[in-house]
Amino acid sequence: MILLDYHNRIIEDTLKARFNPENKPKPVDMSIVDFDGVSYHISTAEDNDAKLILSIRWKCWSELVQYGAMDVLKREYRQWITEPEHGYDFTLQFDIQNVGADPEDVIRKVSLLKRNAMAAPFERAFDAQSLAEKEENWDPSTSQLMTIHYRDGEAIYVQNQQDRVTVIFSTLFKEETDRVFAKVFLQEFVDARKKPHLQNAPQVIYSHREPPLEIRHVPGLLDSESMGYITFVLFPRNYAAGSIREETISRIQIFRDYLHYHIKCSKAYMHSRMRARVSDFLKVLNRAKPETQAAEKKLASGRAFRRP
Amino acid sequence: MSNTLRPYLGAVRQTLTAAMCLENFSSQVAERHNKPEVEARASKEVLLNPVVISRNDKERVLIETSVNSLRVSIAIKQADEIERILAHKFTRFLMQRAESFVILRRKPIEGYDISFLITNSHTEQMYKHKLVDFIIQFMEEVDKEISEMKLSLNARARIVSESYLSQFN
Repeated sequence: MILLDYHNRIIEDTLKARFNPENKPKPVDMSIVDFDGVSYHISTAEDNDAKLILSIRWKCWSELVQYGAMDVLKREYRQWITEPEHGYDFTLQFDIQNVGADPEDVIRKVSLLKRNAMAAPFERAFDAQSLAEKEENWDPSTSQLMTIHYRDGEAIYVQNQQDRVTVIFSTLFKEETDRVFAKVFLQEFVDARKKPHLQNAPQVIYSHREPPLEIRHVPGLLDSESMGYITFVLFPRNYAAGSIREETISRIQIFRDYLHYHIKCSKAYMHSRMRARVSDFLKVLNRAKPETQAAEKKLASGRAFRRP
Repeated sequence: MSNTLRPYLGAVRQTLTAAMCLENFSSQVAERHNKPEVEARASKEVLLNPVVISRNDKERVLIETSVNSLRVSIAIKQADEIERILAHKFTRFLMQRAESFVILRRKPIEGYDISFLITNSHTEQMYKHKLVDFIIQFMEEVDKEISEMKLSLNARARIVSESYLSQFN
């Protein structure tokens, strides 16, 4: 598995089981977590097992709302939106006996809840860029730098310019090893674009410790060896309206998790390699020990045989 | 095997074989104590001159000998940051398992990455030439392992980046 899925698998499976008309509705109360500190809560209404409630909590929710997340969510989930559950940011409610004509589609949509919430700032930047492109004298000061503090100490910055949109990830490497591995990975991301078949991919720029120019004025950036900044430069061809745009949004969102996932995978691989190597060494060392004498030898008659 | 590696390992092998003539020797300082003199350093007359064999400024071996014990310390090649981390992880991994590697020292000598302590009881229980073989093989394979791990990391990074970016086409 090289690429990560965009949707939440547990939500998908749970809803699939619930929406299946052959299954009788029964009460449920589940807490689910997702990447980037997202937590979901799936439950049924107290008086009615057929009413399924799904809530999401995310620490950057207020920022997302500020960048228009509600519009995207209303577009995607209009008929199911309800008052947010206590302690959560956003809630959907379903009547599992009446999900609509295409339950598969509903399940797919709902399992992408986190992705859709985060899509708002991207859509806003893409739209702003396509407007700016048409203008003769575009004023650069109208470009908006949108910051989403989606994890502790890490953020995504989205900024539209006249001909492109830049997305900057700030990411924190907890360990020295992670930092060094990340450097190798990101160097490959920078180099991979030189390949002829990857010319269409967005440009990737990696800087370590030093924030890129676009966000250098932002207050509160942590100045530490363990910080890394990854910039994606998206051109209009990367987010042409329709499926390309949707895919690009999903893909960019998953980038940080993808990178860290593969760093952890390589560490695990090294670990298993070292384990194998250590047992090899142990075998070599044990060869130095003289073999112990075989068990007592017996004569044909059954008497013990002793060397004189 | 590269041109400089062969004489380097050859020199280490000869020196180790020569140095590994150990005998039981009780402490002269404390009665009824018997400790590896190369570690205790209690009496000067039982310590021999240490030998450093170096291949280049990064890779070298220090062999310290005494009447009843021998200490071999190895500095592993570390050309860049990744090799440094891999070497560090690998030696740490080994040293955490020092219990099963009877001759491995739990901590390396300062300036080196890994140390072995061979006492007279080890040479009595095990074949001397096989112990030398083990250390030589260890030196050969550590370098090989580290460069292979580095290669596999690079290969993974390439595949990961290409498969991510190729989605944009």
